[in-house]
Amino acid sequence: MTFELFNRTFFIATDVLLAYIALIGTGLGVLYLVNRANKWSVIKDYVTTTHHRKIGVLYLLSATLFFLRAGIEALIIRTQLAVPENDFWVFQGDKFNEAFTTHGTIMIFFVAMPLLIGLMNVAVPLQIGAQDMAFPYMNALSFWLFLAGAILVNMSFFMTASPNAGWTAYAPLSTAEFTPEAGNDYYIFGLQVSGVGTILAAINMIVTIVRHRAPGMKMTRMPLFAWSTLVTAFLILIAFPVLTIALYILMFDRLFGTSFFSGEAGSPIYWQHLFWIFGHPEVYIIVIPAFGIFSDVISTFSKKRVFGYTSMVVAIVIIGLLGFMVWVHHMFTVGLGPVVNTVFAITTMLIAVPTGIKIFNWLFTMRKGVIHLGTPMLFAAGFIPTFVIGGVTGVMLAVAAADFQFHDTYFVVAHFHYTMVGGTVLGAFAGIYYWFPKMFGFKLKDGLGKAHFWLFLIGFHITFFPQHFAGLNGMPRRVYTYTAEDNIFIFNFISTIGAFMMGIGTLFFVWNIYKSFKNPDRCGNDPWNGRTLEWSVPSPAPEHPFDPMPQVTTIDPLWEAKRNRGGKLPVANTSRSAPIDVTSWQPVGFSGLIMLFSLSFIYHVTWLQIVLGIMVLAFFALRTLTDEHTKMAREGEDHDNI
Amino acid sequence: MKKIKWLVASLFIFLTGCNLRVLDPKSETARDQSFLIQFSFALMMIVFAIVIILFVWFLSKYRENDQNKDYIPADEKGSPWLEITWTVIPFILLAILAVPTVSITFEQSAQVESTPANAVQIEVTGQQFSWTFSYQNGVETVNNLRLPVDRPVEFTLRSEDIIHSFWIPKLGGKKDLIPGKTRRMIVTPEETGTYQGKCAEFCGREHTKMRFTTTVMEESEYEQWLQEMKEKIE
Ligand code: HEM
Ligand SMILES: [Cu+2]
Ligand SMILES: [Cu+2]
Repeated sequence: MTFELFNRTFFIATDVLLAYIALIGTGLGVLYLVNRANKWSVIKDYVTTTHHRKIGVLYLLSATLFFLRAGIEALIIRTQLAVPENDFWVFQGDKFNEAFTTHGTIMIFFVAMPLLIGLMNVAVPLQIGAQDMAFPYMNALSFWLFLAGAILVNMSFFMTASPNAGWTAYAPLSTAEFTPEAGNDYYIFGLQVSGVGTILAAINMIVTIVRHRAPGMKMTRMPLFAWSTLVTAFLILIAFPVLTIALYILMFDRLFGTSFFSGEAGSPIYWQHLFWIFGHPEVYIIVIPAFGIFSDVISTFSKKRVFGYTSMVVAIVIIGLLGFMVWVHHMFTVGLGPVVNTVFAITTMLIAVPTGIKIFNWLFTMRKGVIHLGTPMLFAAGFIPTFVIGGVTGVMLAVAAADFQFHDTYFVVAHFHYTMVGGTVLGAFAGIYYWFPKMFGFKLKDGLGKAHFWLFLIGFHITFFPQHFAGLNGMPRRVYTYTAEDNIFIFNFISTIGAFMMGIGTLFFVWNIYKSFKNPDRCGNDPWNGRTLEWSVPSPAPEHPFDPMPQVTTIDPLWEAKRNRGGKLPVANTSRSAPIDVTSWQPVGFSGLIMLFSLSFIYHVTWLQIVLGIMVLAFFALRTLTDEHTKMAREGEDHDNI
Repeated sequence: MKKIKWLVASLFIFLTGCNLRVLDPKSETARDQSFLIQFSFALMMIVFAIVIILFVWFLSKYRENDQNKDYIPADEKGSPWLEITWTVIPFILLAILAVPTVSITFEQSAQVESTPANAVQIEVTGQQFSWTFSYQNGVETVNNLRLPVDRPVEFTLRSEDIIHSFWIPKLGGKKDLIPGKTRRMIVTPEETGTYQGKCAEFCGREHTKMRFTTTVMEESEYEQWLQEMKEKIE
C-alpha cells in the first residue's frame, strides 16, 4: 500500500497496517477500561513502585504480552511453511526473515528473561527472609531499562524496519554493507539497553542473597530456586558484558565506519566467538532458574524434601561453569581445526552429567512421596520427559562430526525448542501457577490450568517432534519455503497443526488469568502446603513481610515448623534492617530518556544525540547527589545502610 | 501422552520409508556421520528409556489417592550410593560415545594439506544467492554441480560476499564459506545419481533459494560432459 504525506510517497505493507490498527484499537480499549474502572491510581502505583513483588508482576505482565506477539510471529512462520511453495500474505523473503529474527530475539530476551527475573523478584526475597531486594530503586530501574529495550525492538516493526539478520545477527550480514536499513540498529540498541537492566538486576540478586538472608538461613539451607538465582546472577554478570562489548563493536562497524568484523584486519569470526561466549551461557541463564522452580515445585507437591540437596547445588554450579567452556559447539562448521572441535565436543558432552544428576534427583524426590498433581506439578511432570528429549538431542549435537550434518537444520530448531519451551517456558508456567497466590492472594483456576497444560504440551510435541525428521531430511533452518520433492511436507504440515494447538493453549492461560481476577478464590497464606518461608507470610506479600523475623534452623523451615511446632516459626532476636523503599518517577523517566537517546542514534540525528547525552549525564549527577539513607536515618527509621 | 508420541514417531519412520537424506549416505564421509548419528541415538535411547520407565513408575505408584492423601512421607535426604550411580554411569556412556566422536571428528576436521593423486579439483564460490562451480579445464556452471563417481573431489570453498555454508546432505556435512578465507573439503561419491545441495547458513533475502543440484555420473560421461561444455564456451 502507498499513500501521500507531506509531498512524499510512503509505502506501508498490509501486515504493518493491520498491526497498527490492532495496536491502536487495543490501546484505546485498555484506556477506556482503565478509565471506566477508575484504576489510574493502581497504574501510578505500579509505575512508581520499587517494591519487589510489584516489579516482579510488571516483569511477568510485559513478558506475557511479548510472548503473545512473538507467538503470533511463530504462527505466521508456521503458516507460511505449512505447505510447499506457499505464498502466505507477505511472508516471503525479507518479511519472513524479519519474522523469525524478531520471534527469536523477543522470545529469548523479552520473554524468557523477564519471565524468570519476574519470578525471582516475586519469590526470592520471600524465600530467604528478606524484606525486599537489596536495592529497590535500582530494581525499578532494571525493569524500566529492560522495558525500554523491549519497546525499541518491538517498535522496529511499526517503523517498517525490523531486524533481519537472525537473533544471532552474524556479521558481515549484520553490518551496514549488507543491511543498511535501521532494522539491525534497533536490534543493537534494544539489546544494549535491556542488557544494562539485566546486569543491574543480577547485581541486585547477588547482593540480596548474600546480605539479606534471615538469621539462620545459611547458604546450605536456601531453597533451590534461590540457589539457582544466585548462580544465574553470576552467569549474567560474566556473560552479559560480553554481549555489551559485541554489540558495541558492531555499533561502531555500522554507524562509525570501523571494520572489526570485515576487511583485512577484522574477521566475521570474531563476532561468532563474542556472540557465543555470551550466547551459550545465556541459554543456561534461561534454564537454570527453571530448574530451581522445578526443584521447589516437585518437592512441595511430593511432600518430600528435595532428594540429594547438595548434589543439586553442586550440579547447578558445575553446569554454570561448564557453560562457559562450550561455545564453539555453535561453530563446528566454521573450520577451527580438529583439536578445537574435539575439545569442545567433549566439554559439551560433559554437561550431560550434572544435568542427568538433576533429572534423577527429581525422579527420586517423587519416589516414596505423595504426589499431588496440581497445575504447577503438572507442568513440572511434563517438563521431565520433554527436557530429557531436548537433552539427548543435545548430546547428539555435541558429536562434532555428526553436527556437520545437524548444524543449521530443523533438527537444531527442534532441539532448542525442546530445551527452551520444555525447560524455560514450562518452568515459568509452573512458577506462575505456583506463586500466583503470593502475587495476588488467589489461585489461578485449576480446571482451566489443566486445559492450558494439556493443549500446550501435546501441541508442543506435535509441533516440534516432526521437525527432527524434517532436519534429517535436509531442511535447513531459516528458509521460507521448500519444494514438494524435498519430501518434508508431512512433517511441516503436522508441525503447523501443533503450533495452532499451542496457540489455543496459550489463550486458555490468558482466559484463566481473566477469569481468576473476575472471580477470585481467596486461598490464604499457604495454598499448597508449602515448605519454604514465602508460604509463612500473607498473600499477597505485604511491604515488610517478615514481622517478626523468623529464626531459620533447617532446610524447608516452614515444613519443619508444621511438623514439630504447630506451624509457628521460631522468632529471631536479631534481624537485618530493611532496604529503603521509595516511590519515584525517576526510573521510568530515565528509561524513557535512554530510549529517545537510542532512537537519536538509530536515526543519526546528531544534535539530538548531544542534547540527550547531556541530559543522561545530568541525570547521573542528580542521582549521585541523592541520598535516601541519610534522610531516612534523620527520620529515625531503622534501615539498612549498606 | 507418551504412547501417542511413540506412535506418531513410528508412523513417520514408516511413512518416509526411512529414507531421510542424512541417513542415506552416498560417500564415506556421510556414512561415518550417519553412523555417529545412529550410534549416539542408540546410546541416548538407553538413557531416555530408563528415565521414562522410572518416571511412569514413580508417578503412577506414588500418585495421591484416597488412601495416602493424609500420609506424611518419611524424611529422606538422599543416597550417596544412588547419586554416585547416576554420576558414574553417564560418564561411562559418554566415554563410549567419545571414542568414535573423537576419532571421526579428528579425521573430518583436519585441514586438508595433501591432495589425493587422482583428485578432481573444483572451485566453489558462494555469493548472494547462487553457487558458481569452476572445473579444472576452465568450465564454469551455476547452481549445477557435476562429479565423477568413485574419484575423490577436492572442493576449494570461497565466498564473494558474506558467510554461506556448502551442504550436500547425502555426500556429507557442511562447511562454511567465509569471506576472505579459503576452506577445503574432500569427498568421494560412491554412487551415481542426482542429489540436492543447499546453502545452510542464513545469508539474506533469498537464502532459501540458494540451492544447487549435484549430479554424480560415470567417469566417462563426466569427461564427455566437461569436453562438451568446454567446446561451448570456445
Ligand atoms: C510457542 C510456540 C513456538 C513456536 C510454534 C515456535 C516456532 C518457531 C519456528 C517455526 C522457528 C523457525 C525459524 C526458522 O528457522 O525459520 C523458530 C525459531 C526460533 N524460536 Fe521459536 N517457536 C515457539 C516458541 C519459542 C520460545 C518459547 C522460544 C524461546 C524461549 C523460541 C525461540 C526461538 C529462537 C531463538 C528461534 C531462532 C530464531 C532465529 O533463527 O534467529 N521459540 N520458532
Ligand atoms: Cu550452546
Ligand atoms: Cu544462505
